[in-house]
Amino acid sequence: MGLRAALAWLQTNQQEVNDLNVFPVPDGDTGSNMYLTLRSAVEEAQEAPNPDQVDSVFAAAAHGSLMGARGNSGVILSQILRGFAQGVSGKRTLDVHSVAHAFREASNVAYRAVMKPTEGTILTVIREAAEAAEAAAGETDDIRAQLARVVKESHAAVERTIDQLDVLRDAGVVDAGGFGLAVAFEGFSHAVDESDALPVGVTAMRRSTEPRVRSPSLAPAGGVDTSAAAQRRGAAAVAARDEGWGYCTEFIINGPGLDLEAVRDELSALGDSVLIVGDSETIRVHIHTEDPASLIAAASRRGSLTKLKVEDMTAQHHEVLERAVAAELAPPVPRKQLGVVSVAPADGFGDILRSLGADQVVPGGQTMNPSTEDLLNAVQAANAAKVILLPNNSNVILSAQHVDEVADNDLTVRVVPTRNLPQGISALLAFDPGADLESNVLRMQAAMSSVRCVEVTRAVRDSTANGHEIKEGNVIAIVDDDITDVGADYAAVIDSVLAAQAPAPELVTVYRGEEPSEQEAEALVASLRTTHPDVEFELHEGGQDHYPYVLSLE
Amino acid sequence: MIHIVTDSTSDFTQAQAEELGVTIVPLVVRFGDEQFRDGVDLTADAFYRRLTTGRTHPSTSQPSPEEFSAVYESLLRSRDDSVLSIHISGKLSGTLQSAHIAAQQFDAGRIHLVDSETVSGGLQLLVRAAVEDVRAGHDFETVSGTATRRRSRVGLYVLLDTLTYLHRGGRIGRAQAMLGSLLNVKPLLTTDHGEVAPQARVRSRNRGLDMIVDLLRPRAPLRALAAFHAGAPELVDQICTRLAAAFPDTEVIVGQVGPVVGTYAGPGGIGVAYLAR
Repeated sequence: MGLRAALAWLQTNQQEVNDLNVFPVPDGDTGSNMYLTLRSAVEEAQEAPNPDQVDSVFAAAAHGSLMGARGNSGVILSQILRGFAQGVSGKRTLDVHSVAHAFREASNVAYRAVMKPTEGTILTVIREAAEAAEAAAGETDDIRAQLARVVKESHAAVERTIDQLDVLRDAGVVDAGGFGLAVAFEGFSHAVDESDALPVGVTAMRRSTEPRVRSPSLAPAGGVDTSAAAQRRGAAAVAARDEGWGYCTEFIINGPGLDLEAVRDELSALGDSVLIVGDSETIRVHIHTEDPASLIAAASRRGSLTKLKVEDMTAQHHEVLERAVAAELAPPVPRKQLGVVSVAPADGFGDILRSLGADQVVPGGQTMNPSTEDLLNAVQAANAAKVILLPNNSNVILSAQHVDEVADNDLTVRVVPTRNLPQGISALLAFDPGADLESNVLRMQAAMSSVRCVEVTRAVRDSTANGHEIKEGNVIAIVDDDITDVGADYAAVIDSVLAAQAPAPELVTVYRGEEPSEQEAEALVASLRTTHPDVEFELHEGGQDHYPYVLSLE
Repeated sequence: MIHIVTDSTSDFTQAQAEELGVTIVPLVVRFGDEQFRDGVDLTADAFYRRLTTGRTHPSTSQPSPEEFSAVYESLLRSRDDSVLSIHISGKLSGTLQSAHIAAQQFDAGRIHLVDSETVSGGLQLLVRAAVEDVRAGHDFETVSGTATRRRSRVGLYVLLDTLTYLHRGGRIGRAQAMLGSLLNVKPLLTTDHGEVAPQARVRSRNRGLDMIVDLLRPRAPLRALAAFHAGAPELVDQICTRLAAAFPDTEVIVGQVGPVVGTYAGPGGIGVAYLAR
């Protein structure tokens, strides 16, 4: 019965457990794995040969969980159940001492099962649960009180996991497996509370996000999980703080003639973390509410109340707030070892460069060369000890080379002299944030020479260049600074540039400038695909002026 | 007798495993409620068809401790039997964890577990080398010790078509920094101490394949190479041409990445593993 309740409660909280999952691999399935493992345990326990004997039930559950164990946390959960089963072996009923012994066995078996036991995980939670069970056994004969203490200490242990594992601290979450275990204990404990009188049908209702997400601002910083799930958790933390924490309120409504669904509907609207279970005779209520008086008044209209308990959660709330405030007041993101600053003439190129890892993008290019000061400001904003600067235009290289002279002594600036945007993008692709400055400069210099840049524009006056007669309005192609092709329209000129390449490029990236519309550019690329079927084409919005098309050939 | 056990992420075919006398414990691939044993109930070809056309994204799970217990029990029949169990990196899967739990049920020293710190072709090369050691008549202690030490001479380079699958599966590791590119970038990855690590970003497949060969050169002399594709057999031909030119004396084992590894590699990936001398 208790196991069934644990299962139901874990199922209810499954998604929340999944969302916390960042360790050991953030695949978001911890809750599902633990649920499926426990379900297998419950199914087997229901078939236990001696359903009235504790040892028989747990032995069956342990076997079932082992058969059905999924994922790391599921496997460890199965070992915890195996430990319980060993601990209660030979027992028909339980007292506080045998419960304490079973918890201790569970903890021991779980630790032995893991090759490199790591604190801040489900292991920490089972160990602290065992300690709580043992401490309680010395003070009380009441298993219910003992289990309540186990639940409380388990959740406290879960809250502390965030400080025990770097990966959790970085993601701003508590350990998913540990939380799943605490949730299972909670369901079990509630069921045991009810077991004397009630046929237990625990239905867990809405449960708010408890303060197990620290600070939303920290979530993306660690680089562990910047996924939408992490951002959701961050958002949840804000919402939860706004709601406040109020009072943990528990009582029993005594019948007869209680309407469970009606009570549930009415009371669950008054708070969070709602757990309302029972039948027409007795209903047990657990709610976190800001206004316990209204809740008690509403409940007392349904029947007489007993076992009323109201606990101020503000202390806990304050602790969470203090941690969050401390995180916000903490010094800003520490200075990186190595950063990259890039120059780009328009938003399109700027977005591409940022998506490839540029820390700062300075507006500028052919007609608006950024000053050394503009570059210096961006280099400082990159917040790194060493910065690689990509000028991406031959007219910017010189001012870029002066930045290191004017920068503070504790800031080193190196220029990889990219003459155009394709070179800059190619160099940036080769950037390895884990490698040192010198090896990056070498890699990026090598990479920049592996692309050809083709700039396509219309002549603004009649002229002669490189042996070509050029009339105003002609389309001209400049390949790595030399005018190579002249013609009437873009497609014909680009076509002849591509045909002249030996060896033929494998990939051509077309950056559309300000002038041609998206449709025009797509039509151009479509025609190039037919004339050059072996070449792969990609079209992106560069947004540059003066050059309707910039092409990168690799 | 020394028995060698590995898991299905070694990407052996059933015929190869039988020929080498290696026992494969399958991981599990799930599409929604449908569950398959890796390489047993679901072939690689059928898997990639589903991966690219199906709507449900697959997930995977490690074998249960029970499955390992059953395998170990069937192999440890007499007092002379021992098991060398070599598996996918513990940082990528809990498979080794299940094996560890199962091994506790047997006498100490009968089962030796090795975390390969790699996967797919890299794992397969380690297993093949261990088989050769056994066939050469070395004792259990020697074979086990050699298998563990040999890990430092094995490496893996993987060129993926996209990071989507690795990211979705939560195995992206330090290659996280490669995400988010607006340009179509192909990630070249490696395994570093059992974890996925970024090696380079390339814009074209050919450049990626060239780069793999360049990365392998300083590792020579090589004892063996393995080239495994994920639903893209033409890539194996392309890399093998390059490998034959660069390492004419080294045998290249070719194959296909199975469903479990394919769940994370995604279609269009190619991996090259090496074992240095």
